[in-house]
Amino acid sequence: MKPAAIMYLVTRTHGLKTHLISPRDIQLLVKAKSLREVSDNLLKAEYGTEISKLPTREVDALTLEEIFLKILVDRFFFITREAQGKLQDLLTRYCGRFEVENIKRVIRAKHGGETIEERNLLPLSREHTIVNLPALIKAKDVEDAISLLRETPYRPLVERLETYRRAGTTMVLEAALDDIYFDKVWEITGKISNGNGVKDLVGEEIDLRNLLIALSLKIRDLPPTLIAEALISSSYKLTVGRLRTLAQARLEDAPDILRGTPYSGLGSEVVNLVKERSASPLERLFLNRLYEDASASLKTRFLDAGYVVAYLLLSECEAKNLVTITTGKQLGLGEEEILQGLLGFQTRA
Amino acid sequence: MSVGRAAVTRGVLLRLREQIDFIKRGKELLKMRRDHLASETNKLLGKLRARNELDRRLMAAYETLKTAYITLGYSRLQSEASTVGLLEAKIRPRSVMGVLVPEILLGKKSNVTSVTSASAYAAAEKLSGSMEQLLEIAEAEGRIECIAHELMMTNRKVNAVERVLIPKLLELIRYIEGRLEEETLEEFFRAKRVKAAIRGAE
Repeated sequence: MKPAAIMYLVTRTHGLKTHLISPRDIQLLVKAKSLREVSDNLLKAEYGTEISKLPTREVDALTLEEIFLKILVDRFFFITREAQGKLQDLLTRYCGRFEVENIKRVIRAKHGGETIEERNLLPLSREHTIVNLPALIKAKDVEDAISLLRETPYRPLVERLETYRRAGTTMVLEAALDDIYFDKVWEITGKISNGNGVKDLVGEEIDLRNLLIALSLKIRDLPPTLIAEALISSSYKLTVGRLRTLAQARLEDAPDILRGTPYSGLGSEVVNLVKERSASPLERLFLNRLYEDASASLKTRFLDAGYVVAYLLLSECEAKNLVTITTGKQLGLGEEEILQGLLGFQTRA
Repeated sequence: MSVGRAAVTRGVLLRLREQIDFIKRGKELLKMRRDHLASETNKLLGKLRARNELDRRLMAAYETLKTAYITLGYSRLQSEASTVGLLEAKIRPRSVMGVLVPEILLGKKSNVTSVTSASAYAAAEKLSGSMEQLLEIAEAEGRIECIAHELMMTNRKVNAVERVLIPKLLELIRYIEGRLEEETLEEFFRAKRVKAAIRGAE
């Protein structure tokens, strides 16, 4: 018997899942003749309230993107508020991805000497973040910004400053942020009762992220030691040892290294894609796999806490797909090109 | 140069002969300059042949950029782009046969290692990879523009010297030579007549 709080949350999520845009409607959006038509169609969805506030002339991909991200953040925090106990702790930590993305954006801007404003960040209200983002924005450089994180869970970043100075790349800091984030989420995942569904999805996300880091950095010809440093220390079914082997081996050996893991099916596709010497198709391949598995989880784990995480992942996927559609329309891309850019769409459609 | 206005003296004739020698040497120099500029242009045209390849590379880079835009959205891509260090290039004037042409000195190349997203990295790598070639072609185009203008001017100068100035000077020299010869003959004849008159009077 599952705890009542989990059952309540899962039932609540079943209701919320109906708010997600169906694959058929996504296809209609792709077929829309203009960005204006896309925004008109979205008026009927959860985005309608925000879109209807926009003056007609101000409808552009960037404004719509801000709305999609706002709704995404709202969805994550709404479900977190509804949760209780350990599951709420997990979801609170899970929502930390927005905070991490905002810190990354500030670090990137400070590294490049660019000015950054709050509107360049994900719309995160003060109550949803433990970091003083306005202060971070005002920091004069990366080191100043990192020093402001000294008293937060992102303290390990301070230790990475020396490596950052030596390497001269923010990749070191971003990898550390991902490591801290996934470590926090992974730590509590194991404590959720009957949380196999959650573990499967969070674990798969970590594994796929690690696989992408290892392969994309390998394509960039970075040394194996640096690749190993960039990996997330937590892992699920793809051990860090195996990933280190992957970092040292030739790209053609990827299928052999992945054999015996749940990701063995990706091996041959990986080999085909890395021939192009671009990690971009790999990023798409892994995200597709994650969102398709999340979609499958909605059917198999309908009474499990994993259903909640799957819903959150699909909300994220929906936001990404809407960004793809609106940006594609603004750039004048054709239906076929936009369809190719959609994530986790094939199986759901 | 008006033929009628020139003073018909041996001094003027000598000066004109010196002048024509000087102009002929100048014409040779102008011709040499023209040939050098033409050969410089030919060399630069070779570089411009790479323009088609650059266009193809840029189109491919823009396609990748489009993919990055639709994958990441404007705000994330803008954030990723902010980590890319600016490319440093200096433009200074350089003299080729007295023609000032631009010379682009590539300093620090743009550093894309901080771009973490795979699609953004692909776009950044392709675009920054094309920058060197783009600057090379821009430099060649700028040079050709300056040199072509100067080449046209030099050609006009050579033509003017060859077809107008030198023939007129030659004509003037011939005229002065003729007049001087006539004057000499006249003088000779006058002297003879004077001599004969003096003899007749005796």
